[in-house]
Parts: sequence; structure tokens; C-alpha cells
Amino acid sequence: MDLENTKAQMRKGILEYCILSVLSKNSCYASDIIRELKEAKVIVVEGTLYPLLTRQKNAGLLSYRWEESQQGPPRKYYELTDEGKTYLTELDRSWDELVESVNLIRTR
Amino acid sequence: MDKTIKIYLGGTLFNVTEEAYKLLKGYLQEINSILGNTPGAAETVEDIEMRIAEIFQSQGIMAGIISKENVENMISIIGKPSDFITNDEDKTTGEPYFSPSGNPKRLYRNPDDQIISGVAGGLGTFLNMDSVWVRILFILFACFFGIGFFVYIALWIALPMASGDAQKRDMYGTEGYRQYLSRSKGNTRPLQSSGYAASSRTGSDIGNAFNEIFRALGRVLFVIMRILLIITGISLVIAGFASLVSYILIFFFKFPGYFSTDAVGVKLFYLPDFLSYVVDPSMAPWIMALLSVVVILPLLALIYWGVRMIFWFRAKDGIISLVAIVIWVVSLAALSILLFSEGVGFAERSGKSYEKVIEKAPADLYIFAGKKVADLKYDKDITFDEEYTAFFDDDGENLYITSGFDISSSDDESLRIHVRKRSAGRSNSDAERKAGRLEYSYSVEGDTLSIDEYFSIPAGTKWSADEVNTDVLIPAGTRVHFDNTTLRMFRRQHFNESGWEWTDSDDDEYEGEEPENLVWIMTEDGLKELK
Repeated sequence: MDLENTKAQMRKGILEYCILSVLSKNSCYASDIIRELKEAKVIVVEGTLYPLLTRQKNAGLLSYRWEESQQGPPRKYYELTDEGKTYLTELDRSWDELVESVNLIRTR
Repeated sequence: MDKTIKIYLGGTLFNVTEEAYKLLKGYLQEINSILGNTPGAAETVEDIEMRIAEIFQSQGIMAGIISKENVENMISIIGKPSDFITNDEDKTTGEPYFSPSGNPKRLYRNPDDQIISGVAGGLGTFLNMDSVWVRILFILFACFFGIGFFVYIALWIALPMASGDAQKRDMYGTEGYRQYLSRSKGNTRPLQSSGYAASSRTGSDIGNAFNEIFRALGRVLFVIMRILLIITGISLVIAGFASLVSYILIFFFKFPGYFSTDAVGVKLFYLPDFLSYVVDPSMAPWIMALLSVVVILPLLALIYWGVRMIFWFRAKDGIISLVAIVIWVVSLAALSILLFSEGVGFAERSGKSYEKVIEKAPADLYIFAGKKVADLKYDKDITFDEEYTAFFDDDGENLYITSGFDISSSDDESLRIHVRKRSAGRSNSDAERKAGRLEYSYSVEGDTLSIDEYFSIPAGTKWSADEVNTDVLIPAGTRVHFDNTTLRMFRRQHFNESGWEWTDSDDDEYEGEEPENLVWIMTEDGLKELK
């Protein structure tokens, strides 16, 4: 078994959840999300984020608007849709359950 | 020195070295091929491109040129495509996320393909056809009773101009927007082999030639239209502003300015005071207020439209306009109702005539004034017309109006004195009744005729455009001896035809002028001064 690969797989599973959580606080553009995820050490390479953002947007969890920026071209600002918010509360609950389950197994 | 290549990436222009270009191109192609046909692939690539551009910018590129190291650095940040995208994952989970090719396009006026207003450009973009054909169609249909023209104007008004990137995105559609972004930097190379750059929508040569012609014509038309609009706008603003200022100065500050007394012939600023003689004095302020609204609102609208024409902006003024129109209509209605309930009716004019005939006219007729304006005590006067001046008091009691007076030749030997009293009323009989109340007198004794210079409207009754005219008919050859007042009355009547300057002096002295010839003689051609 490749340890790095397993770690990457675990991170990938929770990445979608993390993106939604970041956006639940306020609307961000891609680089803001990346910075926060990097600080939390949930992603290593940035490229991972973009396909996920597109998918979540297409699933109706996110929407974006274009905002002009002082430096450079306009930026895409993402925010949660109502659907995304309910989706996130579901994920919050299942995350708690998951943590509980894992703790239960580990401490047994 | 390495050759550099200009590329357009995520909305920014970069210079890259040949090596870096190859690496970058390969990298993007790899991402492209791994994403393949998964839904939203194009969008993901675009997002990544924008991020790459940002990374390049944040690296503070040396001498503005992107080197191979820069690209490698960027790849280490974003990661190898194989690291962050796995095909099977996207294929299995991608399915439920499928949505049909982005958002539907929306119809805007296109500022990037604009000759007059961008209507044709917008339609062309929406229908995926060269806008030149849209223009030709518009011109063709304009030949059919101007249908094309009106449709064009309607679309111009109805469609918003696409402004900002979000609306342009909606206008072009997702794919079209990508093409637009690449196309708008014409001289750059397509970065990817899949090549959504230029080429696909350049149109034919004939189309381009047509477009150039349209563009030139359009510019000329547009400039002419703008100039006309600006001229119209400026005149509207000036006219509206001047009227507004005069109205306010005259009626609120009683500052006559240029509009005073004799310049126009009417002391306009006394009109509000005169109103007390037309309606109940307690109603006069209300009527003034309503009248002000009725007059001022259209003037403001005039100024506003003028400003809009000059500066050519679109404004969300629908609600304000509506409110203003409602206020105006309500004020007008209230004013009408108020005036009507006050019994002010000017619908019919009628009156009474009196005639006195003296069979044998005297050879010398002396015409003297009975009651004279010079002896009258009054506070204010309004001259509506040269022969129609009203004199009145502040207390709203007494109203005097000059009477008309004319002398012409009779066709027999008689002297005829013809007095007509006329008033306006709601009906004929109402007008007749009102005319009957006018107080005016004259008398004939031998060769002396005495007439009043003014008539009075009895206290307690209102003004209703009353008038009194006295016509004296005498045979030719009769000499007429005036006094100063009656001569003035006669001249007043003939003010317009003779062009005499009539001075509104309160006394009978004409200072510094040669004495008036008070003796006249009736001829076949009317009354002449006796030399």
C-alpha cells in the first residue's frame, strides 16, 4: 500500500465538503479558496480544486458572479446556493457522525 | 536572445519564451485531453488558465518575459494533471452533474459589434450569424413601409446594452465568450491545438466590405443625430429654464424684469391680484398653487428631456415620470373643478346693444370725457391689450376697465351713437345678464357728446371678460373736437394700424411734445386731423 496515495484519497473525499464550508462563510474567488485550503493542509496541488468547483456549480450547489478587479481581469466569485446550503448542513451532520464512528472504533 | 511569443491567457497578455511556450502548451493540452468530454471541461480549463495568469503575475516576471522556470514553478503549484484529475472518477460521478451546454444565451445590444446602437450586432450574436446579414435584412424591411426601421427603434429601446463581463458572457454564451476573449486580442496565437481562437467567425470578404460601408454610414448618421439631439436639447433646456425663471420671478417675487408693463403690454405680475376679481378671493391662492403646478411641471419635464438629449443617458425615470404625470393631471382636474365651481364660465359671449340716433348731425361735434381714468383711484392695473386695461384695488372691491371708442362715417346725415356691452358666461342668457350689469354712461346734449373713459363692474360681481365699445357714426364733413382724454381713447383704438407710440401717462399733459391737434374732420376715408 502506498501511504501517500491513501492520504491523498482521504483528502479528496473531504475536499468537496471543505470547499462548501469555506464558501459558507462568505463568497470567495478561486484563489481565496485555495489559500484557505492550503493553510488547512487539505490540498497539495491547486489543480484539484477546479474540476470540483465546476462540478459543484453544475450540480447547482454553487453559483458565481463576475466581479471586476483592480489588478488584472475580472474574477469569478463563488457563493453557495440555497441548495448548496442544505447540502452542506447534511454534510455537516454526516461528518459529525463519521468522526463519532471513527472515534468509537479507535477507542474501543 | 530567445524569441518570445505573445500569448493571451486568462484575460491577460504575456510574453513567453519559445521553451516556456512549448511547456505551457503541452501542459494545457494534457489537462484538456484528460478532462476530455466531461461536463464543464471547457470551464474548468478556463478557470485554470485564469489561475495560471494570476500565478505568473504574482511571480513578478523578470523583464516581463515568462521563462521555462516560471512555467515549471507554476506547474508545481497547480500540480500535474494526472495528480488532480482521474478519469474514472469524473466519468462515474460526472454523470448526474450533467447540464446541457451551459446557460442559454440572452439577447443584448452588442457594444463590440456596434454601428448605430448595437441592435444588429446583438441579434447576430444571438442567432449565430454574421451581423452584416442582420443589417441587410433591417434595411430591406425598412423599405416595406418602414417596418424594419420601427422594429429597429423598438429593439433599441427594449434591449439593454451588454455591459460588464457577466452580461457579455450571457450574450455570447459560454463557448462564444471564450471565442470572443481569444478573438478580441486579434494578433495573438491560439494557445491550444483544439483552437477556439479566431478563424471560426470572421465572415466573408463581401460581408466585411458591407460592414465597413455600414459602419461609415452609421457613424455619419449617428453624428448627425447626436448634433440634432444636442441642439434640440439645448433649446429645450433654455426655453424651459427661461420660462420657469420668468414664471417664478413674476408670480412669486413680483419681479417684472423684462416682462414688465409696456414691453409686452401686460403687467403679468399683477395677474394673481387680478384673480381676486375672477374668483372668490379665498380661493385665489389655491388656484395660484394649482396653476403653478400645472405650469411648472411641464417646464421641468422640458428641462429634463433637454438634459437627457444633450447628455444622452438612459435613466430609470419611469416611476418619477408616472408620478409627475399623475400629479399634473390631478392638479389640472382640481383647477378645472375649482374654476367651474366658482362659476367662472367663458363658454358663450353675448351682450346688449343700445343705439341713439340724432337725425341731423351737428357740423361741429364736441366729444368730452365723462368719467376719466386720470381721476380714478386704484392700486394696480393690468393692460391686456392696448384698448383693454383693468384698474383695481387691493381689497378686491372695485374693478374698472377701459372702454373702446371709435368714430366712423355714417352713410346718411344722422349722428348715431352705438354702445355694445358684452360679457362671457356659461350660457347666452348668462352672458347677456352679466353684460347688463356693466356700469357705463354717455350723454348727448346738442352738439356735445360726453362719454366715459372706463366702465365699472359693480362690487360683488366677478370679472367675465367684459367689454364696452362705443361707436360714433357721423357724416363726412363733420368736424370733431376732442379733449385730451377722448383723443387718447380714439388713438388707443387705432394703435395697431397707425403704429403710434401710446404712452401710459396718468395725466393729460404731454410733456415736451408739440401740442396735440384736437380738431379732426370726418372724410370719406375716415377721421383725419384738421390741418
